[in-house]
Amino acid sequence: MKNLVPIFLILLFNGAAIGKTIVVKPGTAVPSLKKALELATNGDTIVVKKGTYISHNTIVKKEITILGDGYPELDAQFKEEVITIRANNVKFDGFTIKNSKTGAMRDYAGIRVHKARNVTISNNKLVNNFFGIYLSDSQWIRVLNNQTEGTWSPLESGNGIHLWQCGNITVKNNKALGHRDGIYFEFVKNSTIEANYSSGNFRYGLHFMFSDDDLYRRNTFKNNGSGVAVMYSKRIKMFDNLFVENWGSSIYGLLLKDISSSEIRNNRFIRNTTGIYMEGCDGVSVVENNFNNNGWGIRVLANSVNGTFTRNNFLANSFDVTTNGSLNLNHFKNNYWDKYEGYDLNKDGIGDVPYRPISLYAQIIEQIPQSVMLMRSFIVNLLDKVERSIPSITPESVKDEHPRMKQWTN
Amino acid sequence: MKTLNISALFVSVLLVSCSREPVPLSYGKDPCEHCKMTIMDTKYGAEIVTAKGKIFKFDAAECMVDFINDNPGKYNAPGDMLLTTNVAAPETLIDARSAFFLKDKAFKSPMGGNLASFNSRQLAENNLQNADGTILTWDELLSGR
Repeated sequence: MKNLVPIFLILLFNGAAIGKTIVVKPGTAVPSLKKALELATNGDTIVVKKGTYISHNTIVKKEITILGDGYPELDAQFKEEVITIRANNVKFDGFTIKNSKTGAMRDYAGIRVHKARNVTISNNKLVNNFFGIYLSDSQWIRVLNNQTEGTWSPLESGNGIHLWQCGNITVKNNKALGHRDGIYFEFVKNSTIEANYSSGNFRYGLHFMFSDDDLYRRNTFKNNGSGVAVMYSKRIKMFDNLFVENWGSSIYGLLLKDISSSEIRNNRFIRNTTGIYMEGCDGVSVVENNFNNNGWGIRVLANSVNGTFTRNNFLANSFDVTTNGSLNLNHFKNNYWDKYEGYDLNKDGIGDVPYRPISLYAQIIEQIPQSVMLMRSFIVNLLDKVERSIPSITPESVKDEHPRMKQWTN
Repeated sequence: MKTLNISALFVSVLLVSCSREPVPLSYGKDPCEHCKMTIMDTKYGAEIVTAKGKIFKFDAAECMVDFINDNPGKYNAPGDMLLTTNVAAPETLIDARSAFFLKDKAFKSPMGGNLASFNSRQLAENNLQNADGTILTWDELLSGR
């Protein structure tokens, strides 16, 4: 124990020797962040006091910690970007970032990180920026507890948190509102998106393009143009998310396009036009999810193969499953379907007759969309009943051989 | 006379329903026929009006090209109108077959094709920003993807 004290002292003094603290305050010798950045050397801390500062793309090129005290405002006055970080080991915390330029040719951003490693962007409030936080060519970045609110104008909005060609990124506890896409990933590998809230975005709450080996979990996607789109990506894990109220024609809770080897587990799809839409997917497993009150629970196009749908609950959806073809090579097993009318004589909790999730009427709508006006009419119910007893038109291969009698507690 | 009027009306209705006109892309609403993404970016986008008057909308020229190549022989007949958005004048559609396509990293078209369409080669050349950018004609683009 006695030996530890000097070591501790050395560490303490070392720390003091490496980093000095520069305070930025209006009306003092250091009135702007730009000035402080000129004075600083690697390892320093800059504290910016409460106030409004004009920042026409302040560029950070040193390895420093920049802290806002009382959410100081950095305002680009719609002329430029607000701040760009181009150094490693930077922490940027506690600012209000506002009014970046909007532009057709360049993606102006509130906070941009370019070619950097080990950077933390935390506890910032971004208001009225074209793009909110924009990471490119970067590794090991943490984006934590930020809130970004876009322009709320459909044609002049960029993405809330935009990542391009990055790896090992953590995006956690952020809020993205009123942007084009709430969170956008293009060519991003090995990254995690956790516990974010994405709402009121014009295109998607979360959007993946050409991004492999990523995980998103415990996020909420509410009332966006569409909930989440995962496109042209491999090995994506989608766990414990909430997809709610994504309504409208060609709008989906989760849109999957050309996805392979991915896992969708324990999510809730509530009141969406279509819960999950799958096109050109290979080896996607949909396990232990809840589909409640959707127009279509799952829509799987016939070009999707090797899908497994297990232990899901389907409750109060207008259509549980629909397709445009035969859906060979996709397997439904052990799901709970509230429309199941079979029986369980041996009392093992599993229905004794298979359930066919695709109704005859769903097949008719496929051919003649206008027939939706007959929904819930007597004739449609009659047709479905007849088809259930003597299946002839619905695809033979699509059936759950072991439907659950009781709901899963997913 | 009355019958003439009615038949004139009938003929005019027929004529109207036969005319093939490109329909403007509805940004933020229309989904792309090929990639299903909502069309948002006013600088990019494309449209096919088939000989029968059927309309397919795309969020980017690369999606239209992929769509045509995925359905060989179906949508590239001389009677099919192929249109692409003029980057220099967002929201306006120009004839794709006579357009020039600049492939340059500076242009982030929605599906990663980095393709910008212009109505003249000169304009495309003027907008070249990276040394490795290239300018393609429609035929080169179609056969190159």
